[in-house]
Amino acid sequence: MRRILLSLAFIAAVIGASPAAGGEDPLRIGLTAVVVRENLRFFDRWGEYLSARLGRPVSFVQRRAYRDVMDMLEKGELDVAWICGFPFVQKRNPEFLELLTVPVYRGTPLYRSYVIVHRDSPYLGMEDLEGRVFAYSDPDSNSGYLVPRKMFQRAGLDPDRFFRLAFFTFSHAETVQAVADRVADAGAVDSYVWEFLVERRPELAGQTRVIQRSETFGFPPIVVRLGLDPALRARIETALVGMKHDPEGQALLRDLALDEFATYPPGLYEPIRVLAKAGTVVPPRAWP
Amino acid sequence: MKPLHPRGWSLTVKIPLTITAVVVGVAVTIGVSMIAHDRARFQAVLVDKALLKARAVAATAPEALLRGDSWSLYQSLKQVAAPGTPGTQASTVITGMVLDAQGRVMAHLDPANNPLGLPFRPESRAERDLLDNALAARTPTVLDGAKALDGFLEGVVPMFADEKFIGTVRLRMSTTELAARNREAAITVLGLTLGFAAVGSLLGAFISRRMVEPLRGLAQGLESIGRGDLANVAPVAVREHDEVGMLAESFNRMTNELAEKKRLEQQVILNEKLAGLGRIAAGVAHEVNNPLGGMLNCVNTLKKRPDDPDLLRRYLNLLETGLNRIASTVRGLLVELHDEAAPKPCNLACLSDLKDLIGAEIDGRQVQLNWENAIDGETCLNCSCPNLQQIVLNLTKNGVQAMPDGGTLAFRSRREENKLVLEVEDHGVGISEQDQRHLFDPFFTNRPDGSGLGLWITFRLVQKMGGSIHVDSAPGRGSRFEVRLPLTEPGAAEAAE
Repeated sequence: MRRILLSLAFIAAVIGASPAAGGEDPLRIGLTAVVVRENLRFFDRWGEYLSARLGRPVSFVQRRAYRDVMDMLEKGELDVAWICGFPFVQKRNPEFLELLTVPVYRGTPLYRSYVIVHRDSPYLGMEDLEGRVFAYSDPDSNSGYLVPRKMFQRAGLDPDRFFRLAFFTFSHAETVQAVADRVADAGAVDSYVWEFLVERRPELAGQTRVIQRSETFGFPPIVVRLGLDPALRARIETALVGMKHDPEGQALLRDLALDEFATYPPGLYEPIRVLAKAGTVVPPRAWP
Repeated sequence: MKPLHPRGWSLTVKIPLTITAVVVGVAVTIGVSMIAHDRARFQAVLVDKALLKARAVAATAPEALLRGDSWSLYQSLKQVAAPGTPGTQASTVITGMVLDAQGRVMAHLDPANNPLGLPFRPESRAERDLLDNALAARTPTVLDGAKALDGFLEGVVPMFADEKFIGTVRLRMSTTELAARNREAAITVLGLTLGFAAVGSLLGAFISRRMVEPLRGLAQGLESIGRGDLANVAPVAVREHDEVGMLAESFNRMTNELAEKKRLEQQVILNEKLAGLGRIAAGVAHEVNNPLGGMLNCVNTLKKRPDDPDLLRRYLNLLETGLNRIASTVRGLLVELHDEAAPKPCNLACLSDLKDLIGAEIDGRQVQLNWENAIDGETCLNCSCPNLQQIVLNLTKNGVQAMPDGGTLAFRSRREENKLVLEVEDHGVGISEQDQRHLFDPFFTNRPDGSGLGLWITFRLVQKMGGSIHVDSAPGRGSRFEVRLPLTEPGAAEAAE
């Protein structure tokens, strides 16, 4: 069902973009679990907005796992992708992507990982989750896998033995759903997605509560494939960064619950790299 | 009591009841078979659906099971449990689960009460049996939970990886909708049956009215005929020319003919009565007139010659003879004048005196008398002896006269219970059937010299004694008269004195 909808959305995006496209290759943007992907009409509007500014059609491509999106980026099947900080800092040889812009959320380009449980459950801290069922989002997710595991380890708990059962939902929103439905007793979720759902779908997210917050990390970035036409790359950056300057773009940003897209150095994601590599946490720097 | 028994019911009740019963019977039979058919069909659809849904989950589940991807198992369970597209028959999934080979919950539609990774442990005995059956199934199966638990059908599809049993999908569909549909169907059938019954009884009432109305007319008409009341038989209305109509037609024809016949009979009776009266009048006139003519002649002659004593003596004798003859005629007509005011019982010894009297009557003819008197002298009869003797004498006289060429005259008397039976039989000319009818009328005679009063007097005497007389005769064979008179007990006669 969802696949059909997705392909329909894909077709709609292609057709919707065609007046500006004039038969040109569409710009393909990959989406991952960092955003609430089910909001298909929003991505249609965003696609139209961007294609009008880029002078070529834009299509959003959704894949279940980060790994799939990364593979497509590597093969050149995607030009742009909104990925997580963890895959971004993973070592690639040769490197095939670079940082384009970073979303600014509530004034900073930072977010956290939350450990959530059901509102009515008795769990107050991570220790209470022993022998319970845990939901991760994606094995390549920072906030949905890497960070919570580190947090459990720091608390002296072995995440591989601590739980009765653990599974991946491959979406932060579905992690919230799994906890709300009590399929999982607890789950790790992107703070941005959780807050977004609390605001937009309170009947779902309202059934969950946060029992643990991590330190902040660089917000899931928008990256481009290396080797993309520099002029096009610049136009994409301008279009994204410029969204805060026109009402249409502001409306789209409001729908994403973001302040803006801004340019930051890759050093923003250094703490994630350190965390992934050493298992130790680098104290975060303050980012404007 | 009788109207309670169906045999006593009116056709106007029985025909509508029969039609209604037939209609209801047919409607119920068809309805019940339709319900049963519908139920079986829906059950089959539900079985297919339960299996199909379980198979749909099982199609992707092995991979997810092996990966430990409980979330996608849960999502595919949710997907098949989602209400169908509008317009299709919605059949509810009550619950569903994916269990691994050890019976642990890998996904459950009610995750809050069925934690992942723990063995599925239902509380009720019936549920545990069902679980055992489900885990034991190695081919897709449908378990019927309609008997032990709340009505449901459970599709069970086991899953294999490299021919190794790795788990099973259980999907439970509610059969309450089936029950609801059956209830609806039953209500419809009931409604239709009632409707048909109503139509059937109306139709039956109409038909029976049309059929029974002429029959009732016939019954009433026949009853009137049975009472002899032919005048008030109303003709039965003939509406249709079926069997009943034909019956009514012939009945109407028959009543008309009967009425006509009765009218003719009455006419004949009246005619005969008038003829009898005429005969009596003529007889009286003749019997009186005959001597009257001679007597008037005598009177006239005596007026002319009043001084002739010889003539006077002779004519006075003639006058006396004539008057006596008239008197005897009148006496014969008024038999009762002979009687004493109160009849006295007499014993029957006087019967034996008759033998000589009859012998005197026979005297000089070629007639033999057979005398069989079985009555003893003690038997008593409520009448005077002369009357009894006259009865027998009149009959024997007639018998003798009926045998001008001689023959045998039989007299028999006997007692039958409390009756005296007298029989006089001759082998003479006999009496025609026509004459038998007037035999006891006064002045009826076939003899030129007969007065026609003998049998009349006999008849009146027998009547007065409370007895009966009847004749058995045929021309050429002779006649047998039988008189039956009631007897009185000897003691009763004395007590009466």
